[in-house]
Amino acid sequence: MDWLEEELRRALARKEPEPGFTARVSARSRAGGRGALSRRWLATAASVLVLAGSGAGYRWYQGVRAKEQVMAAVRIAGGKLNQVQNRVLEVAK
Amino acid sequence: MKTVVKLLLLAVAAQLPAQQIQFNLDHLAGKASNTVDVSLNGTMLQFAAKFLDGKDSEEAQVKKLLEGITGIYVKSYEFKTEGAWAPADLDRVRDQLRAPQWARIIDINSTEDRQTTQVYVRSENQKMTGLAILVSEPKELTVVNIVGNVDLNSLAELGGHFGIPKVETPPQKK
Amino acid sequence: MMPVARAEQPVADFDALVREHQAMVFSLAYHVLHDRALAEEVGQEVFLNLHRNLATLQSAAHVLFWLRQATIRRAIDETRRRRRQPQVELEKVAEPAIGPAERDPMLSETLRRLIAVLPEDARAVMVMRYQEDLDPSEIAELLEMPLATVKSHLHRSLAVLREKLVRRGLGDR
Repeated sequence: MDWLEEELRRALARKEPEPGFTARVSARSRAGGRGALSRRWLATAASVLVLAGSGAGYRWYQGVRAKEQVMAAVRIAGGKLNQVQNRVLEVAK
Repeated sequence: MKTVVKLLLLAVAAQLPAQQIQFNLDHLAGKASNTVDVSLNGTMLQFAAKFLDGKDSEEAQVKKLLEGITGIYVKSYEFKTEGAWAPADLDRVRDQLRAPQWARIIDINSTEDRQTTQVYVRSENQKMTGLAILVSEPKELTVVNIVGNVDLNSLAELGGHFGIPKVETPPQKK
Repeated sequence: MMPVARAEQPVADFDALVREHQAMVFSLAYHVLHDRALAEEVGQEVFLNLHRNLATLQSAAHVLFWLRQATIRRAIDETRRRRRQPQVELEKVAEPAIGPAERDPMLSETLRRLIAVLPEDARAVMVMRYQEDLDPSEIAELLEMPLATVKSHLHRSLAVLREKLVRRGLGDR
């Protein structure tokens, strides 16, 4: 085992969660698994807005979704282009 | 575990502008373990740009990048096994990139990880009007088409820095 | 060794299972996500799933295998859902902005950050290897990945990490 592997073991050593973790899990299991706020609120909020006939609210939801798509697309395209750039630079060395 | 992120908001137009490629890859979604599908025309991009935060450095860079762009289309599929996509799937895309205005500027074939990457640029009257990136691996297929004038350096730079956590430099000892 | 847990056994036993494995579950999630709050949430969900599936688990070893597999899958799913970190090729992982060798105390954090931006499969393999000390064949079984692929991920990830650190003057040992 070389130095890097030893450092990786050290860096990735197990860590305890915040105190009270077991109590929080127990509480949720007794409550039937409910209790944590769903992080997927956006779709739910959108449904509510549409049903309530709130045009402006739904338009906001569309805008946020469109922004997420733009960021996803730029990440993918930019990531691939960056890989290409690095490979070209490596070959040129 | 199958995850599908279908982000399509816009119906496909009956006739696509020349800079926009027809992907014909939707049949792969059913076989993919992970799909990203983005289709944003100029109107949607302008709309989305309003929601980009100018105070966030990444979003501000993206907002600037969007200034010359009138369409972004991405299809990216990951598969659990090899053989899910066929060479013909990519050939149909490449055939559209044989048009005179398109030029292939990058063609990288890595035998080590069996990845092929091709980048095409479309020009008209000495101005860039489109970009296409095709990346294929045994278990992944990604096709990107951007319509408009793309700042390639900015796009590549964004791709290299997205989400990379910054390491805090400790204060200098005096 | 923990006795086998069954759903019909008292709740106290489930709590004991949580206490025994919470560090492992939390750490797997944290090292994949590099986000304590998300890691806690993933950890809670994994244990809730354990509670629902206890009757199907046949031994303490089975519980451990199940927890490792469930946690890594859930954490990777969360990564894909958020896509906050790009799927970067190993070679293009940016070098952290830290200085010369006397900054060694930060090496662990640097390594954790570099691991957290590896491609998902490579990340899962590295975390299983160096947090859980599993050998490649155990990792292959857990992640349902060919052994050759596991070894390739290990080899490439170590090579890239080594190169990144040496370039910053942190690798001359």
